[in-house]
Amino acid sequence: MKNWFKTVRTLVWKDLVQEWRSRDMLTAMLAFAVLALFIFNYAMELTPANRAEVASGTLWVVILFAGTLGLNRSFTAEQDQGCFDGLVMAVPDLSAIYVAKAITNFLMMVFLTVLVIPLYSVLYNQSMFILSFFTVLLLGSWGYTAAGTLISGMTVQTRMRDLLLPILLFPLLMPVNMAVVKAAGGILAGLPASEISVWIRLLVVYDVIVSVVGVMVFEYVIQE
Amino acid sequence: MLRILSVLAGVLITVAFAMVLFYAPIELNMGLVQKVFYFHMAAAWVGMLAFLMAVIFAIQFLRIRDLKWDYLEASSVEIGLVFTLVANFSGMIWAKAAWNTWWTWDPRLTTTTIMAFTYIAYLLLWRGVDDPQKRAQFGAIYAIIGFATVPLTFFSARLLRTIHPILIGAGMDMNLTPEMLHTMIVSVIAFTVLYSALVIFRADIMTRQEAHKDAHLIEEDY
Amino acid sequence: MILEVKALTKRYGRRKILKELDLTLNGGEIACLLGPNGAGKTTLLRALAGLASIQSGEVSLDGEIIDFKDQTLRRRIGLIMHQPFLYENLTGLENLRFYAELYQTNQTGEALKTALERVGLNPSQEDPVRAYSRGMKQRLTVARALLHDPDILLMDEPYTGLDQQGCKLLNQILLEEKTAGRLILITTHELDYTRQIADRFITLHLGRIADEFENHELSLDRIQARYQAITAPREIAAQEPK
Repeated sequence: MKNWFKTVRTLVWKDLVQEWRSRDMLTAMLAFAVLALFIFNYAMELTPANRAEVASGTLWVVILFAGTLGLNRSFTAEQDQGCFDGLVMAVPDLSAIYVAKAITNFLMMVFLTVLVIPLYSVLYNQSMFILSFFTVLLLGSWGYTAAGTLISGMTVQTRMRDLLLPILLFPLLMPVNMAVVKAAGGILAGLPASEISVWIRLLVVYDVIVSVVGVMVFEYVIQE
Repeated sequence: MLRILSVLAGVLITVAFAMVLFYAPIELNMGLVQKVFYFHMAAAWVGMLAFLMAVIFAIQFLRIRDLKWDYLEASSVEIGLVFTLVANFSGMIWAKAAWNTWWTWDPRLTTTTIMAFTYIAYLLLWRGVDDPQKRAQFGAIYAIIGFATVPLTFFSARLLRTIHPILIGAGMDMNLTPEMLHTMIVSVIAFTVLYSALVIFRADIMTRQEAHKDAHLIEEDY
Repeated sequence: MILEVKALTKRYGRRKILKELDLTLNGGEIACLLGPNGAGKTTLLRALAGLASIQSGEVSLDGEIIDFKDQTLRRRIGLIMHQPFLYENLTGLENLRFYAELYQTNQTGEALKTALERVGLNPSQEDPVRAYSRGMKQRLTVARALLHDPDILLMDEPYTGLDQQGCKLLNQILLEEKTAGRLILITTHELDYTRQIADRFITLHLGRIADEFENHELSLDRIQARYQAITAPREIAAQEPK
């Protein structure tokens, strides 16, 4: 068990160093998020009434799409350099590979969210520096990466690769999308906790289910 | 086996059709259009059954590793997609007639639409992989995770909005006379038998297609 | 150490790549697998490494039937495939450290540097692997494969990309490993170098072992002639006899 954690730690370290040295994923995600922010700003009229929900909705949509850029890249090293085989030979429990990759992807998204929230707050004139708001985004991001890591592990091995990821992933994310937008929007609008907590519970359930499924089936993604 | 099922399906569908047209009464408020309901219900039921069966086949494949389970699974998804689309479109016809709107963000409609997207995604994945073994594995994985998220999709959609007539559970919006109930049950059974026949048939075709593809490769000389 | 393969069958879809294949490999021996492109050499190696599932047949190690999906067994295997298994943004040393940690070998930095020197790489090399030449990557791959002190070495065309010096170095390393009692199976088209170290040649053709012969310092011509006698005239892999 201790070995499993050590393995996960080694894998996460490797992914973070790889990403830090190239900064491919982070740059692309950040650039996309900022550009999208401006585009949405022009595309939509904000009234004080709908501002809360629209702001959280657009923030989540942008995170969603920027996230696919990161997810698409997450397994390319393994695929192109054949490292899947190397990992399968070395790692005792293949679920460690899944968990490590999910953690790395999750950290990327957190990083992105932290950079983007101040920018959004300014542009939408809506303070988003609320802990519960951030927590909702984190919960949503975990569900997103748990499902996304599993799917991208598969799509990277197909012919269509990048093109296939959104098609496969987005139908699975509907509960997360609804829950995040409703909960986050509710927090910004100052809705009572009782109305928001049901969405948060849904998020937690989703996160748990998808993570468990991911851990159980990931070995079939990289092994015959 | 297939022959019996096909004949049975044919008979049952005809009976169901007859019942819908002649046996079931014409509904008070909506008139003739309401009769869409029977096939709509049956198709929606089969759509969900197909998904469940696909997951069962998927788990069987991962356990036994015989490609025949993969073919059954992919066939179930294909057939399930057709039935789900039928359910969706008939549902939209109903909605137009009942509430004068083509689309509603009603939980059942939303969920079945997402299910249709999941089916389509599955088929794209299935056709995007060349290695038969890998293709089967990926299909199984996607079916399982897709199935795991569908109930959650339904709950979240339900939390959002509800204007679909609630038949199962509290508050009967629509009271079914005994004739209507009979017709509905027969329709559901008829569609289920039809689904089974179609899946076995499709899986059979798939098996032959795959065999044919490799036939010229099997004894290839270098 | 004896590795026995009995009636191994591997299918890709419905097509049989390996057909009821029988093979015996011994520790302290270098076996060299020959065969035309597409004969199934890579597939056989993958099956032995546990990376590919088999449809029927059994593999046993020292009399015990094994499931090659067994991780404890996999970690006794050093594997080289066509792709290097290397991470481009990490340095050579970091790549080795990464694999050392995965295999839990507890090797010190010094031990890793020695591993690099053994394959003729400069241990102070700070460049990421992305900047390496093909030959350097291959040397690093060899170091990676041997890092965790495996009992069984499976190598698919390990001479690829190596210059003359590199090939000689690899031969030297393989002989060292053979002396240490390792079980070694390599596939190759580089008959020139392998005939200097191979104990046995095995020819794989149409999914079966078509020929096996001991290598008692046979000349290149004799090996090639024997090989071509077995394989069909249309195959493209053999070199031109001098």
